[in-house]
Amino acid sequence: MHRPEAARLSPHELYNARLGLWLFIVSEAALFSAFIAARYLNLGTQRPAELNQPLGLAITAALLLSSLTAYRAETCIAHGDRAGFLRNTLWTLLLAVVFLVGVVAEWVEAFHLFPPGTRYGTSFFSLTGLHGLHVLSGAVLLLGVYLHGRRGRYGPEDYWPVEGVVKYWHFVDVAWVFIYPTLYLVG
Amino acid sequence: MKEVLAEKLRVGSTVFVALCALTAVEWFAARWPGALLWLAVIAAAKAALIAEYFMHSSQLLGEEGS
Repeated sequence: MHRPEAARLSPHELYNARLGLWLFIVSEAALFSAFIAARYLNLGTQRPAELNQPLGLAITAALLLSSLTAYRAETCIAHGDRAGFLRNTLWTLLLAVVFLVGVVAEWVEAFHLFPPGTRYGTSFFSLTGLHGLHVLSGAVLLLGVYLHGRRGRYGPEDYWPVEGVVKYWHFVDVAWVFIYPTLYLVG
Repeated sequence: MKEVLAEKLRVGSTVFVALCALTAVEWFAARWPGALLWLAVIAAAKAALIAEYFMHSSQLLGEEGS
């Protein structure tokens, strides 16, 4: 059951929606850049040796894989493959949960090794906390499009909500692409 | 339609493999001299791949309303 023709976005409206989302993403990128810059200003290139490197790499892999499944979900609905859209959206959600569980496990260790009050702890918890909130909000949005998709919403001519949420999800991945080396590799 | 979908899914998988390869290089680059610069370049390359292939950033450069 797609939306009625009148409710669908015209090409001009779709262009404006995409432009608006990109402007929002740029403003979000500025926020993450400020947090990343603060890490280098406070600590230079120092980092503690106790960081859990295998866990950091594992959650990075989970988030990269979730970008692929999100891309596949959007591509499938754009070509009328609803089953593929639903399956890939579900995989993306599962990988989001894996990432968040990994971050929580990392936090449990980090609270003992470098608590939030320490110089590295301040950067670590603020960056992973800010990013984790974005992952959580992205997962809620993905759940929303999944549930709507199950009820028959969206189709090849009418999938802007899916495209918008998936673009946001990819941005969350791009943010981690810079956060991962900043916290785990530099130094 | 199915061939187009399959081709686009193949492109996505290729980009994912490239992202994994760059992450592996990143892991070793952290030990190279001038690591900060190498890591910045690799992260920028990964972000560019995601922005272009997954986020379709060049859509915005097309004609308005196209």
